[in-house]
Amino acid sequence: MIKNAVGFQSLVKREIVRFFVVFTQTIVPPLISSSLFIFVFGLSIGRNISLSVAGVSYLQFLVPGLVMMHLIESSYTNTSSSLFIARWHNHIQEVLLSPLSYMEMVLGLMIGGVTRGILTATGVYGVSLFFTRFVFHDYLVVVYFFIVVTIIFSSLGLIVGLWAQGFEKLSVWNTFVLTPLIYFGGVFHSVEMVPTPLKFVTKLNPIFYLVNGLRYGMLGISDVNVLFSMGLAAALAIALFLIVERLFRRGYHLRS
Amino acid sequence: MSTKAISISHLTKYYGPFKAVDDISFDVEKGDFLSFLGPNGAGKTTTLNSITGLGNFQAGSVSVFGWDVVRDYRKTRPLIGLCSQEFNFDPFLSIEGLLVYQAGYFGVPKRVAVPKAHELLKRFRLFEKRKLDFRKLSGGMKRRLLLCRALIHDPEILILDEPTAGADVELKYQIWNYLSELNQSGKTIFLTTHYMEEAERLSKTVVIIHKGKIIHHGDKQSLIQNQSLEKTYLELTKETVDD
Repeated sequence: MIKNAVGFQSLVKREIVRFFVVFTQTIVPPLISSSLFIFVFGLSIGRNISLSVAGVSYLQFLVPGLVMMHLIESSYTNTSSSLFIARWHNHIQEVLLSPLSYMEMVLGLMIGGVTRGILTATGVYGVSLFFTRFVFHDYLVVVYFFIVVTIIFSSLGLIVGLWAQGFEKLSVWNTFVLTPLIYFGGVFHSVEMVPTPLKFVTKLNPIFYLVNGLRYGMLGISDVNVLFSMGLAAALAIALFLIVERLFRRGYHLRS
Repeated sequence: MSTKAISISHLTKYYGPFKAVDDISFDVEKGDFLSFLGPNGAGKTTTLNSITGLGNFQAGSVSVFGWDVVRDYRKTRPLIGLCSQEFNFDPFLSIEGLLVYQAGYFGVPKRVAVPKAHELLKRFRLFEKRKLDFRKLSGGMKRRLLLCRALIHDPEILILDEPTAGADVELKYQIWNYLSELNQSGKTIFLTTHYMEEAERLSKTVVIIHKGKIIHHGDKQSLIQNQSLEKTYLELTKETVDD
């Protein structure tokens, strides 16, 4: 699958170097915002919230949600901004002129998003250790969701990075689609806390299944069947990856 | 490997209802120095994009040393170096980094790319600036860096889109000399330019495109004969000369 190994490694390295060069914009802010969320929601308001699950505090319940939120946001933002800026400055030509296959281009760009998502989410989890600690229920499930969720949102970021024709369009998806889905996806609450009419709506949100899948891996609790969550995540990752690869092959917003 | 560096056959490209390139065909021989001339909007950039893979086309075919640029793009792209007109450099990398990464995308390992980058940067008097951000360079320096980037993977064909646009006289002569040197060493050069003096001085073959059609393809000498290339060009493209 990877025929131009040197080219592929160069692209992956370039994508990782890019977000490290601006680490104060890419790595540090999620750690600060997570600390604030943990402090405000977990330690302050969370003291007054009781969960129906015995032995799990609200603060512990919150941690997988925050980790998932940053897995999603960091992987999505990395690929969408990297590709959009490369198109905006037209230095995407450096890659398009090269003998990298379209699959290698997509994978190379995506690995940057996956790496940033996993690094940031691991950092958020590290921050949470200052406030609460627990033993993971199932490490493999945690690793599975770390990888598959970052593939899903790196792919989505690439689609938006291709689609957007200006900075305002780039932010539309984040503001009007992704952020509401994340906040209504069970990052801060269990579906049991939601009024009955909204429970059905919540269950239509794919992020709800991803949050609960990771929560199962970390705490052993979930509002949904974890196997269904894993299957849905895999299906989304494959579908979005194939869409991106097809768009690159067609040259959508890349070639005149 | 074919002796034809580039072979364009019945290339047609539309932008919506507008036919930008209309069934054009011509070949570029290996080792040629070809100037591809035409007024703005004539179809030069569209043709150039079709060769490099930066543009799609609806009909016809383009091959590079016998390889089809669409089907065999992994074989054709290493054979081409594009020196674009705009300064489209990656802003996250240093000048040296730009070249080394660019070489990397072409499969050139770092141990080979770094000495090659240094050689080119020295040749174009940019070596002292290699750790800087490209935005710190002057316009002339950026133009030289574009050439370095196009050459970093040692392509067989160098495609130049207005390589001396905005360059001062000294830089222009420096680039011209270097291009002649490269051509003498066997590289095929495909030049698009609006400077007739440049085309007249450097090229062996001239192709003129006008309104999407090839209106002249032949060696430079047969085209200019008793008058300048500029005058011949203007006659062919039916432009008027203001006295």
